[in-house]
Amino acid sequence: MIPKFDYHAPTTIDEAVELLNTLEDARVFAGGTDLFVLMRDRLVRPKNLIDLKQISELQQISFDERNGLRIGAAVTFAEILRSEVVKDRFRVLWDAASVLADPVLRNRATIGGNICNASPAADSAPALLVLDAVVEVAGERPREIPIGEFFTGVKRTALKPGEFVRAVRIPTPPPGSKGRYYKWGRTRGEDLAIVGVAIQVNGEKDVRVALSSVYKTPIRIGAVEKIFKEGGPVEEKIKRAVEAVRSNISPITDVRGSKEYRVHMAGVLTERGLRELLEVK
Amino acid sequence: MPEYSYVGKEVPRLDAVEKVTGAALYTADLKFQGLLYARLLKSPYAHAKIVRIDTSKAERLPGVHAVLTGEEIPYRFGIYMSDKYMLAYKKTRYVGEPVVAVAAESEELAEEAAELIEVEYEELPAVFDPREALKEGAPLVHEGLDEYLHAPFIFPKAGTNIANHFKLRKGDVEKGFKEADVIVENEFTQPMVQNVQMEPHVSIGQWHPNGRIDVWTSAQSPFAVRYLLSVGLGVPLHRITVRVPFLGGGFGGKAGLHWEPLVVLLSRKAGGRPVKLLMTREEEFNTAAVRQGMYARIKTGVKRDGRITAEEILYIWDSGAYADYAVNIARAAGYSCTGPYDVPNVKCDSLTVYTNHPYGTAYRGFGHVEFHWATERQMDLVAREIGMDPLEFRLKNAALPGKVTPTGEVLADDCGRVDQCLKAVAEELGWGKPREKRTENGKLQGIGIAALWKAPAMPSYTSSSAIVKLNEDGTVLLSLGLTEMGQGTETAFAQMVAQELKIPLEKVNVVRERNTDTAPYSWQTVASRGTFMDGNAVLRAVDDLKRKIKETASDLLGYPPESIAIADGYAFVAREPDKRVSLAQIATCGVLPDGRGVRGPLLGYGYYTAEGLTFLDPETGQGRPALMWTFGAQGAEVEVDPETGDLRILKVATALDLGKALNPLLVKGQIYGGVVQGLGTTVMEEFIFDEKGRLLNNNLTDYKIFRTQDIPDKFVPILIENPQRNAPYGARGIGEHPTIGIAAAVANAIYDATGVDFFDLPITRERLWKGLKGVKK
Repeated sequence: MIPKFDYHAPTTIDEAVELLNTLEDARVFAGGTDLFVLMRDRLVRPKNLIDLKQISELQQISFDERNGLRIGAAVTFAEILRSEVVKDRFRVLWDAASVLADPVLRNRATIGGNICNASPAADSAPALLVLDAVVEVAGERPREIPIGEFFTGVKRTALKPGEFVRAVRIPTPPPGSKGRYYKWGRTRGEDLAIVGVAIQVNGEKDVRVALSSVYKTPIRIGAVEKIFKEGGPVEEKIKRAVEAVRSNISPITDVRGSKEYRVHMAGVLTERGLRELLEVK
Repeated sequence: MPEYSYVGKEVPRLDAVEKVTGAALYTADLKFQGLLYARLLKSPYAHAKIVRIDTSKAERLPGVHAVLTGEEIPYRFGIYMSDKYMLAYKKTRYVGEPVVAVAAESEELAEEAAELIEVEYEELPAVFDPREALKEGAPLVHEGLDEYLHAPFIFPKAGTNIANHFKLRKGDVEKGFKEADVIVENEFTQPMVQNVQMEPHVSIGQWHPNGRIDVWTSAQSPFAVRYLLSVGLGVPLHRITVRVPFLGGGFGGKAGLHWEPLVVLLSRKAGGRPVKLLMTREEEFNTAAVRQGMYARIKTGVKRDGRITAEEILYIWDSGAYADYAVNIARAAGYSCTGPYDVPNVKCDSLTVYTNHPYGTAYRGFGHVEFHWATERQMDLVAREIGMDPLEFRLKNAALPGKVTPTGEVLADDCGRVDQCLKAVAEELGWGKPREKRTENGKLQGIGIAALWKAPAMPSYTSSSAIVKLNEDGTVLLSLGLTEMGQGTETAFAQMVAQELKIPLEKVNVVRERNTDTAPYSWQTVASRGTFMDGNAVLRAVDDLKRKIKETASDLLGYPPESIAIADGYAFVAREPDKRVSLAQIATCGVLPDGRGVRGPLLGYGYYTAEGLTFLDPETGQGRPALMWTFGAQGAEVEVDPETGDLRILKVATALDLGKALNPLLVKGQIYGGVVQGLGTTVMEEFIFDEKGRLLNNNLTDYKIFRTQDIPDKFVPILIENPQRNAPYGARGIGEHPTIGIAAAVANAIYDATGVDFFDLPITRERLWKGLKGVKK
């Protein structure tokens, strides 16, 4: 059973900010798919819950070439999957949405929730990392946080008390760029990632790789980018990129998989992904 | 006249519409005036003395009506071994064992009250590995084993952790091993797993102030629940009514007795208000029953020509904290220990061992899924050792009619044919034909086969009965004691009744609720016994009804009963069909031309009792345990990605000699489901414990079961019909069998593909990758 709490449903950002800053022991939520599990397990027992789903701005996806993509924090992954522009122009994020949790949960789980839960296994995070996303933060002093600075530890973010995520903004990738997300679980069916690899290729010199479930936070591997900026045969670069990924991650061993297997699979998925996107056999 | 031929036809299940529309009500859906909700406080320790329990704060909470501790209910329950307390008594024996139960006006309140209870424990040394538990000086899980009541065919050893030691001795194994050219010995293991029924365990109990007890429960076997409640509580049977509404899956995990006594006892303490306990999914894993773990060691002696000369087999079952069901699983696996082969000299010891793990229970296959993992892997390993094809090796030693089982039973000529099953599966897999093992993209493909057998595992003296009632309009009601948990027996029996009475299927209704006050008795809905035993009872009930119909018709038509036939809603003189009365006319009584009534309401009753079974000799296991053997074979075609350990199951073929498919649609459904369930325990399902016996994956996030993407690309069910003379239309049970051979078939296929052997389950992606590491690609 979920412990008792008082429920608040503000309809504007300002109202939500005020509630969060005045109510005792309050937490915001959108889909609730992470929070309610924690509450059911009695790991957290907030007195007040602020539901962000009634704020219409947080439910919007918008796009224009100049400003890029803006996804409201309460947009569900099912909605992201229905967006043609995400599928056509931000494929790595669409991929991540398509393998996140399962179809039932995707009807409920939101992008804001996924990054704020800040699980190392968050599927949307590596995609946002390779896309240079920016997190718009609501609070008494609204601000923006580059996604690369957003995750600070296992289940920890750069958000301060009284703040919540308003939207995620993603610049438009250059024409001809490509991206995919490669997820590996324990089974062929839906599972949490034991390794997830997002790759965005904006031409042969701009290759970005970020991973989930292999570090205390989702992690973008800067060393890979250096390798591809330099000259040299692509076959060689792929080999070095795989090495760079394997040496820059430090996964844990747990019931889901061993460190050894995660390191191995991080390399395998990186190599397979790079070969696909760079069209190297 | 229509044919009314239903048996053998693909009739859709009768309860489909109710289930898919959500109209079907399950126990959890039921609400009653004054209903209270129970929650449990559970042990955080695998083995601990209960020093002190303070329930005072919980009792003072408004809305709490009963707080119960083990001290107040020191009753033991069980079907084969009365070793189980409803609440930990004096000490806890596994993490997750209920210690205190609360009944309150809402689940929230009950949970809040449970949190207010203080328990002081003194941790005791615990034992988790059943092989450790067998050693001298191991912590004892049950000190009072010698005081426990148990079935006469169970042999516990007081002062040890052995809850049952089943022994089988056939021929002379020493002599057999001397005759062998080659001896092969291997060890195999399987972890604990869980049945994972869609519907968790749920029971509602009410102990009325007048002493009557009402129970509504998600149980497979209402009569077993009633009987075991009666024995455990000392309440006579006529004061107890057990009802089973729709059931959301059982798979053995709802056989026997579960938490019914607890809700009844909570109700007594709450002054007679009804109390509902609905297990959470986490409690299903931590607290409710699981499938025991297994360790197997098999030593096989074989001649170069492929004849097996001897087998020495050790099965050790990790029954966890309580062994009520596991004791009989050790016995069932013990008497079938060799698998479907003719082995002249056999020595088998099958031991149920207590540990401080969650407690074991029945699970589809009843030990056979587990031990076939060992025996059917061993068959491949032995064949390889002597350089023989594994299919040929199996056929050479197959348990055909006329051969002798491990318990000394000579297989009858109508027992079914494992060789035909093996050959059918082999043909489906393209056995013996040249195949490309490596695909263009570097994947490795292989095929594997396994044979299987299983008889209903039950006492030698179980029975079933059925009632067929004729209604005033000529429609018919069929009452069963057997429950419907998804297996489809109700539909198959309705087909039989319609065909035998020559009426449309739509005119037969199966009474939905099982109520022990009104339903005919059936021992349990387990063991793949329903089709055979309750099916025979249904046929006899129909015969009884027909006899009575003919008597009434005879009185009215003035012809002897033997001359009367029944069809199309009429009883008529067979040679003069226009001399007839409708079934509607005679349902309540016959009416003579002058208005006088004759005979009375028509009801047919039939029973079937297992025939010719005996106790097994305590020292040698010789005797007759098997009502019927259902033989089968399964084959798998797999594709392995050596770089990742990914296993794709391309095809699973399952051949069962079921005698007669009463409803091929439902049989195929059983096969699809059974294969998927068996595959789950082959490649992903397992309990993972920490060193303190705490389950680390007590949820469906980390206890993986098959999802759509995991299932094989192709299922091939093959129904082989060699009828058994004493079975209804020749039909044997197949409910459990599609799960039994699959693990070994897959592992044998993995070896064929990769050259790597697996001895431990499950073969997860990571373990497959690790196993293949270092193997030349």
